[in-house]
Amino acid sequence: MKIAYALIAAGFLIFIVVALVGNPARAWQAYLLNFLFFSAIAQGAVLFSALMHTVKARWSGPLSDVAESFAAFFPVSLILFVILFLGQQHVFPWLHEDLHGKEVWLNVPFMFGRDLFGLCLLYGFGLAFLYHRLYFTLKDRGASGPFGSWLLARWDQHPPDEARLASRMTVFGILYLLAFALVLSLVGYDLVMATDPHWYSTLFGAYTFVKAIFIGFGALIVLSSLLHLSDRNGYHVEENQFHDIGKLFFAFCLVWADFFYAQFVVIWYGNIPEETAYVIERTMAAPWNVLAWTVFIGCFLAPFLILLNRRIKTRPKAMTVICLAVMTGIWLEHYLLLGPAFHHDAQSIPLGWVEAAVGIGFLGLLAAAVISYFQQFPELLHGGDVNRLKVETIHN
Amino acid sequence: MPADTVSIMGIFDSENSAASAIDRLRETAWTIEQVHSPIPSHTIEDALEPPTSRVGWFTLVGGIIGFFGGFSLAAFTSLRWSLIVGGKPVVALVPWFIVGFEFTVLFAVFGNVLGLISQARLPRFETPPYYDERFSADRFGVLARCSADEQDELTRFFETNGAEINTDDKL
Amino acid sequence: MEQTLTYKSIDNTVLDTLTPPRRSYWALVAVLFAGVLFGAGCWTYQILVGIGVGGQNNPVFWGTYLINFVFWVGIAHSGTLISAILHLFRAPWRNPIARAAETMTVFAVCTAGLFPFIHLGRVWLVYYMLPIPNQRTLWPNFQSPLMFDVVAISTYLTVSSLFWYTGMLPDLATIRDRAHGLRHKIFKVLSLGWTGEYEIWRHYTRGYLFFAALATPLVISVHSVVSWDFALSVVPGWHTTIFAPYFVAGAIHSGLAMVLTLMIPLRVIFKYEAIITTRVLEAVAKTIVFTGLIVGFAYGTEIFIAWYSHNPVEVESFRWRAFGDYALEYWIMVTCNTVIPLLLLFKKVRTSIRLLFVISLIVNVGMWYERFVIIIGSVAHDFLPHAWGLYTPSLVEFGIMIGAFCLFFFLFVLFVKHMPSVSMTEVKETLHEGESHAG
Repeated sequence: MKIAYALIAAGFLIFIVVALVGNPARAWQAYLLNFLFFSAIAQGAVLFSALMHTVKARWSGPLSDVAESFAAFFPVSLILFVILFLGQQHVFPWLHEDLHGKEVWLNVPFMFGRDLFGLCLLYGFGLAFLYHRLYFTLKDRGASGPFGSWLLARWDQHPPDEARLASRMTVFGILYLLAFALVLSLVGYDLVMATDPHWYSTLFGAYTFVKAIFIGFGALIVLSSLLHLSDRNGYHVEENQFHDIGKLFFAFCLVWADFFYAQFVVIWYGNIPEETAYVIERTMAAPWNVLAWTVFIGCFLAPFLILLNRRIKTRPKAMTVICLAVMTGIWLEHYLLLGPAFHHDAQSIPLGWVEAAVGIGFLGLLAAAVISYFQQFPELLHGGDVNRLKVETIHN
Repeated sequence: MPADTVSIMGIFDSENSAASAIDRLRETAWTIEQVHSPIPSHTIEDALEPPTSRVGWFTLVGGIIGFFGGFSLAAFTSLRWSLIVGGKPVVALVPWFIVGFEFTVLFAVFGNVLGLISQARLPRFETPPYYDERFSADRFGVLARCSADEQDELTRFFETNGAEINTDDKL
Repeated sequence: MEQTLTYKSIDNTVLDTLTPPRRSYWALVAVLFAGVLFGAGCWTYQILVGIGVGGQNNPVFWGTYLINFVFWVGIAHSGTLISAILHLFRAPWRNPIARAAETMTVFAVCTAGLFPFIHLGRVWLVYYMLPIPNQRTLWPNFQSPLMFDVVAISTYLTVSSLFWYTGMLPDLATIRDRAHGLRHKIFKVLSLGWTGEYEIWRHYTRGYLFFAALATPLVISVHSVVSWDFALSVVPGWHTTIFAPYFVAGAIHSGLAMVLTLMIPLRVIFKYEAIITTRVLEAVAKTIVFTGLIVGFAYGTEIFIAWYSHNPVEVESFRWRAFGDYALEYWIMVTCNTVIPLLLLFKKVRTSIRLLFVISLIVNVGMWYERFVIIIGSVAHDFLPHAWGLYTPSLVEFGIMIGAFCLFFFLFVLFVKHMPSVSMTEVKETLHEGESHAG
C-alpha cells in the first residue's frame, strides 16, 4: 500500500511541476490519456462481474470477486474527471477552431454536464450493483473489515427481503451493462474523437467500449494471477477458470482488432479525404506509423499467435506478462489516437517521461483504490464460491 | 486375437457406472480394448485419460495453407493485368486480408475434416465385435480382455459393477 | 435441464417424428413446392425477357433481390451462433435447438445464394466470377466487395454443411441401429459406420471444437463482408464504419426470431415440449432483447453521427429516411426491431408461447424492412437531387420472393420428417451435465 502512495505522490508531484512550470499542455494531455486509460480498466473489469451475473455463469466466482474490487476506483475516476476540466485549454483542441455549427454540441458546459451525468449514472449503477453483491457475499462469509462489519450490522438490524435484493441486483447489473455501452461511447466521441472535430466514425463509440472490456479483462487476469500466486492470502483460482478468462481475453483481442479493421477498411476503401486524413496521419505517415505498427504487433499479432496455445492460458505468470504487455500496447494506442491531434506537425513521436510519470501516478491511484477495497472486505479473497452459488440460485 | 485370451463386453446403463468400472479395470492386469458410448462423456474421458487427439495439427496446417493461398490467389490474379481500378493499388493487402481470412477458415475446415476422418478412421463399414445396437441409444459398453482361465473372474467383475455380459462375438 | 427425460425417452420422442408422414404433411409439401415452382417460373420469365421486368431502375439498381439476399444470409447467422458460439460458451440451452438451427442455417444460405444469380441480368455468365484459367486470361478482381461475397458465402455454405453433417453422425448411427432393410443400409452409409467407440469420440470432440472455433469468426466475417458490399461504397447512409457489427447483430436478431418461428410450431407438432422447454425459448427471447438493443444503439449512433458530421448530404439522407417517401417503412423498422422486442423483458411475455411466436414474426418483418430502408433508402436519395428517384418492386420480384420463402420452408419441412430435427446425442449430454457438474 505504501508503494501505491509513493507512486501517487511521485506522479502527482511531477504533474504539478510540469503543469505549472514546464509544459502545461503536455501535462494535461498526459492526464487526459491516463484518465481515459485507467478509468476504462476499472469500467471494463467491473463489467466482467455484471456480465457473468446477468448470464448466470457458474464458472466465474472468485474472478467476479476480484473484478468488483475495481469499482473502488469509480469515485476516484469521477473526481479526476472534474479536475480534467481545469486543463480544458490544453485537452480540447476544438476550443480554438471554427466548428461551423458544431458548437451546439462541442462546448465546455454541455460536454462537462453530459459526460459528468453519464459517468455518475454508470458509476452509480456499478456501485449499486456492488452493494447488492456485497450483501450476499458478506452474509455468506461474514465481515472482518471495518466498513464490511458496519454494513453487516446494518443488514442484521433491518433484514431486507432477499428475493427483492436478488432481483434488484440483476436489474442494476443490466443497467450497468447498458450504461457502459452508452456512456463509454459518449466519452469516446467527446474526449477522443472530438480532438479532431472534423473527423468522425460511427463505430468509434463501440470501439472505445470494446477497448475498455479488453483492458479491463486484462487487468482482471493480472490482478487475479498476482493474488493467486501470492502466499499472503487464501485466494485461489482453478486452472480451468484461468483458461476460461484467458479465452475471453483472446476473444476480445479479436473483437478489438475486428472493430479497428471495420473502421480502417471502410475508410481506406472509400478514400474520402474528409475521413482518410485522420487515418493516414496515424497509421501511414511518419512519425506516428511506427507507433501504429507497434500497437498492431503488440496488441493483436503477438497475442493472437501466442494465445492460440492452450497451456499458456493456464499459467498465471505467463498470462500476467502477456496481459501487461498488451495493456501497455493499448496505452500506446490511446496515445496514438490523441497524440497527432495535439501535435499536428511532430517530426518525431513526442512520447517521454512526463506521460509515463503521470501514468505511474494514475496506476498508483488505481492500486490504492483496489488495495483499500480488499482491506475493507478481506473475505472476498476467501473463496466460498460454492456457497454463493447456492445463495444466488435460490433467488434466481 | 491370441488364442488363449477371451474378450468380454460389459454393458452398463449409466456413464458413471461405466467410468468407475474403467477406473477399477485399469488397476487390474486386464486390458481395455474398447469403450462404446452414445454420448461424448467427460466422466469416461477422465477415467480413460486418453492422449490429446492430433486432429488439431491437420486444422492448423490447413489454415496456414489457406491464409497464404488466399493472398496468393488475389495477388496472382491482380498482377496478371496490373490494372489500377478505382484508385486502389495493384497489390492491396488491406482488402485482401478478407480473402485471406475466408480461405484460412475454409482450408482449416478442410484440414479439420481430413484430420477427423483419417484419425478416427471413418468410414468403417465392418461391425466391430460385440457391438450392441443399444450403444447408440442408452447403453455404455466396456470390452475387456483376459486370459482364458480368468474368464469367470472377469465376468464376475463386470457383474459386481452392474453390467450385463456379452461374450458372443457378433461377427 | 428437465430431469424427467431419459436417454430412451429422448430417442423415442425424436425417432417418432421420423415415422411415415400423414397426408396433411404431403399436402403442405405440395403447396410449398408449388410456391417454389411459381418462383422458378418468374425467374425463368425474367431470364427470357430481361432484368427490366424487375422494378430496379435508375437510380435504385438494387431492390428486393438484394434485400432478400441480405435477409436470408442474416437468418443463417444465428444458426451458427447457436451451434458454434454457444458451444464455445458451454451454454446448456443450446443443445435441444442446435440441430434445427444448423439446418436453418444451411437452407437459408442455399436460399440466399440464389439471389446473386437472380439479380444478374445474364445469369449464364456467372462463371466469370470464378477464378478459373480461361483463354482470355481474365480474372475476377479480388479487391471488389462482390468477390469478397463470393468467397465468403461459398466458404460459409461449405463450412456450415460440413459442420451440420458432422454433427449428425452420432444421431444417424442411432437411426441406423433401429432401422431394418433398405433404411438400415442407407443410414449405415450416411453414418459412416459410426460405432460410438471412444477412439472415434476422442477425435470427434476435438474436431467439433475446432469447427465451432472456426465457425465463430467465420460467421462474424461473413455478415461483415455482406455489410461491406454497401459500406465500401461512398453512398451516404451506406458509407459508415458501424456497418459490420451492426449487420452482424441485426443478422443474429432476425435469425433468432426465425428460430422461434420454426421451433414453436415444430415443438407442438412433434411433441418436443419436454426437450425444447420454455426455458430454452426464454433464453432465445432474452438474447433477442440483447440483439434488439444493439440494433437500436446502431440506429441512434448513425443518426447522431449524421448530425455531428455536419455533412449536408448525410444529414439529408437520414432526414429523408425518417420523414421522406419511405417514412412508413422506416418507422415499421424501428418499431418492430427495437421497441417490440423490449416486451420480452417481461417474463409473462417471454413465457407465453403465442406471444413469442407473434413477436418473432414481427421481428422478421421488421428486419426485412430494415434491409429495405438501408438499401433502397440510400440509393434513392443520394448526392444529386436531380438523380433522386423512387422504387417499387414489380410482380415478378414478388413472385420470386414468394418462391424463395417457399423454398426455404420446403427444404426445412422435408428435412424434419426424414432426419432427426433434434440432436439426440446433444440432449442426452445435457442430462448428465446436470448430474455430474458440481457447479
